[in-house]
Amino acid sequence: MKILVCVKRIPDPDESLKFAGGGLDYSASKWVPNAFDEYAIETALRLAEVVGGTQRLAEVIVLGIGPESQRQQLTQFLAMGADRGIIVDADPDKLDTATVSKLIAAVFKKEAADLLIAGKLSQDNEGGQVPQRVAGLLDVPQASFAATVEWDQAAKALTVGREVDDGVEVKRVPLPAVVSVDLRIVLPKSVKNGSTPATHAYQEGPRLASLKGITMAKRKPVAVLKPSDLGVAVGTNEQVVGVAAPPARKAGQKVKTVEELFEKLTKEAKVI
Amino acid sequence: MERLASDLLFNPTEEHRMLRQMVADFAAREVEPQAAAHDAKGELNVPLFRRLGDLGLLGITIPEADGGAGMDAVAAVIVHHELAKYDPGFTLAYLAHSMLFVNNFYHCSNAEQRSRYLPRVLSGEWVAGMGMTEPGAGTDVLGMTTTAVRDGDGWVLNGTKTYITNGCEGHCFLVYAKVEGRITAFVVDRDCPGFRTSNHIDKLGMRASTMSELIFEDCKVPGANVLGEVGSGLTHMMRNLEIERTTLAAMSVGIADRCVDIMVRYAEERHAFRQSINRFGQIQRYLADGFAMTEAAKCLVYNVARDIGPDVRNRVGSDAAKLFAAPVGKQVADYAMQVMGGAGYCKEFPVERLWRDAKLLEIGGGTIEAHQKNLTKDLTALLARG
Repeated sequence: MKILVCVKRIPDPDESLKFAGGGLDYSASKWVPNAFDEYAIETALRLAEVVGGTQRLAEVIVLGIGPESQRQQLTQFLAMGADRGIIVDADPDKLDTATVSKLIAAVFKKEAADLLIAGKLSQDNEGGQVPQRVAGLLDVPQASFAATVEWDQAAKALTVGREVDDGVEVKRVPLPAVVSVDLRIVLPKSVKNGSTPATHAYQEGPRLASLKGITMAKRKPVAVLKPSDLGVAVGTNEQVVGVAAPPARKAGQKVKTVEELFEKLTKEAKVI
Repeated sequence: MERLASDLLFNPTEEHRMLRQMVADFAAREVEPQAAAHDAKGELNVPLFRRLGDLGLLGITIPEADGGAGMDAVAAVIVHHELAKYDPGFTLAYLAHSMLFVNNFYHCSNAEQRSRYLPRVLSGEWVAGMGMTEPGAGTDVLGMTTTAVRDGDGWVLNGTKTYITNGCEGHCFLVYAKVEGRITAFVVDRDCPGFRTSNHIDKLGMRASTMSELIFEDCKVPGANVLGEVGSGLTHMMRNLEIERTTLAAMSVGIADRCVDIMVRYAEERHAFRQSINRFGQIQRYLADGFAMTEAAKCLVYNVARDIGPDVRNRVGSDAAKLFAAPVGKQVADYAMQVMGGAGYCKEFPVERLWRDAKLLEIGGGTIEAHQKNLTKDLTALLARG
């Protein structure tokens, strides 16, 4: 089996935002992998490996779309345990969601992959569109917002638990397919591959790259493709008109008595 | 962010940067939550120690072909720097194992000895340590009185080592003893007949690692456990002291870094006389001086680490790094406590623990006075050489 996992680099969400020239200023940002993409690679690695053995049940390929020189987050996923990487060398500022989805679908087809695992959204734009669009472009089944995944190797299918508003919906998805993952996929027993003992409890969260993984990462093959190699025209139909900080909250008023508060709530604020 | 030129000093390669991130994530996720409890108990967290093995950190300087990571002294400095921000005591156990035992052992052992010990110590299955200091010989290391005498195919050791980190949990130790007056390195297993360790020696700081005596009473050590040539122990000792001192200095930098971070935040959040206390010049002096001292120590330690390795001698650099950095950790922890007042003195914040831990770095791995003695001797010798 071949599993394709996408990684997007985003400005560190823990840093405070800076604004400049009607938009966000990323010039001093620290770039980190999108957390949901970290959950996606963890899911793929749990499916691919057999805990307690050396066998690999799947090849895990990590795909990044962005300038070739900015591959740090892709290297990090290789250090975590992905087998090889693919970079589609393009300026992400000139790509809209539709184009990104076309590029991912084209790589999926070129690789004849069996499964795309993606984060449910990227934390910077929170679009939450790409996995669904890719499934549509590929015309394959999808299960979004996965909280659990079980792989039925013999039947070539996944059973996916999706957290929806009124509970957990369970979907049976034949491969090839697209799965987008939510936070709970990295709980200790969320992923089962039919070979790792079902009782095995992983450490919660995406794994840390081991030092061996870090030293091996640079030796793993990374192919660099141009969008034109994939027959996809680069362009965008989206335009950012402006980004501004929300207006600062006005200072409140201090009242001395409950009566005064009631008076203001009824007459000034008119909320009672 | 564009890479600053100074970043090349701290993260010379992509691997170094990823290592730092990995250790920082590990430290924040798994090391910090347990630090206060193990300080209070005075115990090494052995399961957490084994996690260092899972992550491949126990053999950081050992070549890949022998199961290590094949990284350099800068990488070792990065690990000690990042871990010590959260738990210097646990970091000291790591140092005693990976630097004092593993790194030293590797460079003076033969293939047979490596195959016997490396798999167990690199995985963390065995905790290891090193025995140099004795009740009657510290800085005056050549005054050690532990002896080893030939006995058929093997050796018989007699003597006592003290203040040995990982003594309570250790499965094997690299031990220096004199053979006919010449210092020789041995590896001694816990189950060697005539070997025992004392009770845990309780201490002020670094309480998340343990300390005990190693006691040799007609201790029988197999002939195959001599490391290197008989009489070559001093060479191994002096070579290894360089990376030991540099990584101890890195721990001090970690302590100072964390204390700067804590006091800068606290001074902004804490108000007195209706303003942040960082508006007061007295407080500003602690913040600014503490930061400047930390940066100076960091630059010195990382710069020295570039010239530390199995084939490079840099005693002047490593002595200078530890001589300068050790008091910085203690001083900056003290500044942070002063800025925080009562809060800094109490266990709600980690500063009082870091303050207690920092003092050890002026004593262990060479006292301040030992570094001053060595530096004076070495600088004078350089002068004579022209």
